[in-house]
Amino acid sequence: MERIFEFLFKYPPLFFEQGDFTFGAPMSVRLWLIIAGLLGAATVASYTIARGKSTVTDRGVMAGLRVLLLAVIIVCLLQPSLILSTVVPQQNFVGILIDDSQSMLLADENGESRNSFINEEFASDESELLGQLSDRFALRFFRFSDVAGRIDSPSELAYEGTHTNLSRALDVAREELSGVPLSGLVMITDGADNDNQPLAESLVPLQAAGVPVFTVGLGEESITPDIELGRIEMPRAVLEGSSLTVDAVITQTGFEGSTVPLIVEDELQIIAEETVELGPDGEPVVARIYFELEGVGPRRVSFRIPPQPGERVNRNNARSVQVEIRGEREKVLYFEGEPRFEVKFMRRAVAEDENIQLVVLQRTAESKFLRLDVDDGSELEFGFPTSREELYRYRALILGSVEASFFTHDQLQMIADFVSERGGGLLLLGGHGAFAEGGWQGTSVEEVMPVVLTSPADDPQGFFAEVEVTPTPAGLTHPAVLLGVEQDQVRERWDSLPTVTTVNPISQVRPGATTLLSGSGEQLALEQIVLAFQRYGRGKSIALTIQDSWLWQMHADVPLEDQSHEIFWQQMIRWLVDGVPEAVEAVTDREQVEPGENVQLVTNVGDSSYIEVNNATVTARITSPTGIVEDLPVNWTVQRDGEYSVEFRPLEEGEYEVEVTAERNGETLGSDKTYLYTAPSDDEYFSASRRTQTLRRIADETGGRFYTPEDVSSLPEDIRVTGAGVTLIEELDLWDMPFLFLLLLMFMGAEWGFRRIRGLI
Amino acid sequence: MSRSLLHLALLALALFTMLNTGCTPDSVEETTYLTPPGAEFMSQQAPPRVSRPSFVDPRGPRMDPNEIPGRYPFYWTRAIYSGWGRRGWGQSWATDYPKGDQQFLVVLKRLVRLNAYDWDNAIRLDDPTLRRFPIVYAVEVGGMDMTNPEVEGLRNYLDAGGFLIVDDFWGQREWDVFEYNIRRVYPDHPIVDITLDHPIYSAYYDIEEVKQVPAIGRAMYPAECYGCVPYVKGIYDEAGRLVVIINFNTDLGDAWEWAEDPRYPLEYSTYAYEMGANMIVYAMSH
Repeated sequence: MERIFEFLFKYPPLFFEQGDFTFGAPMSVRLWLIIAGLLGAATVASYTIARGKSTVTDRGVMAGLRVLLLAVIIVCLLQPSLILSTVVPQQNFVGILIDDSQSMLLADENGESRNSFINEEFASDESELLGQLSDRFALRFFRFSDVAGRIDSPSELAYEGTHTNLSRALDVAREELSGVPLSGLVMITDGADNDNQPLAESLVPLQAAGVPVFTVGLGEESITPDIELGRIEMPRAVLEGSSLTVDAVITQTGFEGSTVPLIVEDELQIIAEETVELGPDGEPVVARIYFELEGVGPRRVSFRIPPQPGERVNRNNARSVQVEIRGEREKVLYFEGEPRFEVKFMRRAVAEDENIQLVVLQRTAESKFLRLDVDDGSELEFGFPTSREELYRYRALILGSVEASFFTHDQLQMIADFVSERGGGLLLLGGHGAFAEGGWQGTSVEEVMPVVLTSPADDPQGFFAEVEVTPTPAGLTHPAVLLGVEQDQVRERWDSLPTVTTVNPISQVRPGATTLLSGSGEQLALEQIVLAFQRYGRGKSIALTIQDSWLWQMHADVPLEDQSHEIFWQQMIRWLVDGVPEAVEAVTDREQVEPGENVQLVTNVGDSSYIEVNNATVTARITSPTGIVEDLPVNWTVQRDGEYSVEFRPLEEGEYEVEVTAERNGETLGSDKTYLYTAPSDDEYFSASRRTQTLRRIADETGGRFYTPEDVSSLPEDIRVTGAGVTLIEELDLWDMPFLFLLLLMFMGAEWGFRRIRGLI
Repeated sequence: MSRSLLHLALLALALFTMLNTGCTPDSVEETTYLTPPGAEFMSQQAPPRVSRPSFVDPRGPRMDPNEIPGRYPFYWTRAIYSGWGRRGWGQSWATDYPKGDQQFLVVLKRLVRLNAYDWDNAIRLDDPTLRRFPIVYAVEVGGMDMTNPEVEGLRNYLDAGGFLIVDDFWGQREWDVFEYNIRRVYPDHPIVDITLDHPIYSAYYDIEEVKQVPAIGRAMYPAECYGCVPYVKGIYDEAGRLVVIINFNTDLGDAWEWAEDPRYPLEYSTYAYEMGANMIVYAMSH
């Protein structure tokens, strides 16, 4: 298309985009228009006067064609021209930025690797493109991957980069060439940026400096056939013995409808396998897989899909994720307002879970409590905690059938803050003293609840209904609801459990809350919300509105060997404590980096009441894989209360242990440990297709242009007319455009043809 | 003929033995009783005898048919079992029933913050509904003779998480009968002493002594059974949880039933209610 345009209009479209159109006639345009008008009028008059066989219409058509013909001639006489700023040869610089990452070694469908274009066009002395560029510009070469720098010639390229950062490449080239007249930058890459640095931050300075970027996109826009294991969503830390729920995003082209195995390995041992059905080409599929990890400490879990026959890229079929298995015994406080069998059976369900300590405070009479599984005689000796320090020792709080009036106003606020500030988990059970029936409406805890409370029924006996419990679609994939069976058996398992009862009619959840279990029954006017949860502040709150889940253990319809009740409560309580932060918490910005890459360590520090501390002394002890220990001070960031950070660079390959300790006035506030894994990355092989959209954006926003290897030949000429650098004004004649000549011929031929058709000649 | 007479004599002797309590005091003395403090209070709290038709069919559920199990967190449930007893054939289980159960609930609810169904609730051991009530109370088990379905029902009940409270049986002969029956349920689980350091003795009240609680008819005697030692024994399941508690040579149920009677010594009714409260609080949390 461009060639046709250039043939007709003498110059390529870029010239017309960059240049200004003008008329170069010596006399003013107005005078020429007057002359044109007189000639046109004379032409029309001559046709009007003429007689013969022609009709008025005939004369009108012929007059019009003749007028158009005259107009074309007038335009030519007006000497149309294009004013263009063109660079002065050899007075300007052009930066050639060449992608030096591993993805450039990928072979395209024709079997040639992407860097073969670079070798032919930029590394070869016989390259015509390079020759044209060299004739007009002083060339400066740069290599870029995760870092960027000058090179003397493309022969120095090694294609070993494990990441690509386009922004950094542009910044480095612009800064290095900021002192010279720069006509533009040429960026040769597949565009696969995997460092996620915003491009806009690098494009704005280029726009301001008037430096256009010409991008040459290498590689195919879609690598087919190929399967890619994309993002793995997995918690960074879990409690020992917990079932892990992991989502793996899989995209593919060329394998639509196929099934592939997703294999999970832990230290070379397969621990889970899931068969995944792939979706339509290009559409991601989320595969959910469940497994358990044994042992305590940092673990490296690998996910992989075996290479399929004909697959183009195999190195994007596997990912590894770091996870820490925590062996702590998490303390959960269960406060029950009256003796209920829920206490007995919940304790039985989690009794053998070594990672859960269920402390029970049961009110047996006014001001009389039974304490179970406490650490010592002083724990909870005065009943429910009255200070944040005392309550925040627990990672989760379960409230049974206890009325709101039992608590003081401060205690109610403390319970709400336990979730929002401390980040604890709160579970509210159904019962006569729970929810609206227990007077919780209008309290600060009501805001925390994931369910909407309605005023209690007027019935003096109180509301009571039997409930058949069913998982919702969201519940079918939630670990707390799975009951230890395969996902396709979950609904059937729930259907087999006996009905339970509720005395709290709840049919609505708060916006943003999720319902996992719902209930139906003859006494229920609306569907009952049985199990719902929401995130609240730093924590989460869960409502289980039934009062006798123990029936799932005791009922005669439940076989003795059925473990549904036990599994339900074990999963529920583990979910409650999952993700609950400590007063001192350390996390790295990434859990895997390459040796030599910078890592940001961020630590949040609070006191025993989880109030942020800004004057703590925080130290990070970093232990390398070979046992080298380094102590680094971690400083307050000032931007956020309680937030401290430090940057370090791991150089060795393997697992780093980072232990952070926070002290204030000689008192230890707390400590935390996190792990970092360093290894060469395969990121270059993920999403390795050409990113045309990104490259076009870079070109468009800077005034440049996007090319593919097929049309890159016009690049030297296009740079010449950008107007950047040292330029001179060029005036290009347009009166001899073939288009105008063709118009003349067309009008003349049209009039002659009309006369022939009408028999006028 | 002489052989027939011998057989007849032996049969009469056997019948006499079976019907005897097996423990007879050496002497009976009349004792003048002072009204102990608290008895008047107990008398005022006792409800009038309720003439509810709760004793129609010894083989069926006893709960009010208008009541749906589950409305209350707690039902004081009595086990109906097959056997024989002083009250006639097959009604040993109904000793002190229903007044004892109702009386017990009235006082229990005042002592413990318990949201309990107000009335009696008797269930057969082979009734699947038994599993709806995780605590069950069996008395006068010296007259117990469970059927096989009852044995299986009780075993399943205990294995699922149920708790059995046994009370009011005396002497070696009755012990042997009970032990024979409970061994059919749990052949391999030993019956052990529940010593005073067990948490059940401090679950609600602090109990420092196991007492022999006499029946109302024996309350005026220093002891119901001279030479009998009261025991609290128990059976643990395979996970080490107490699932059966056995009050032997003592009669808590009578103390519960007659606590309001001024003749009944406060000492025993107090102990009986303390044990009752402790057993229930313990069983509902362990």
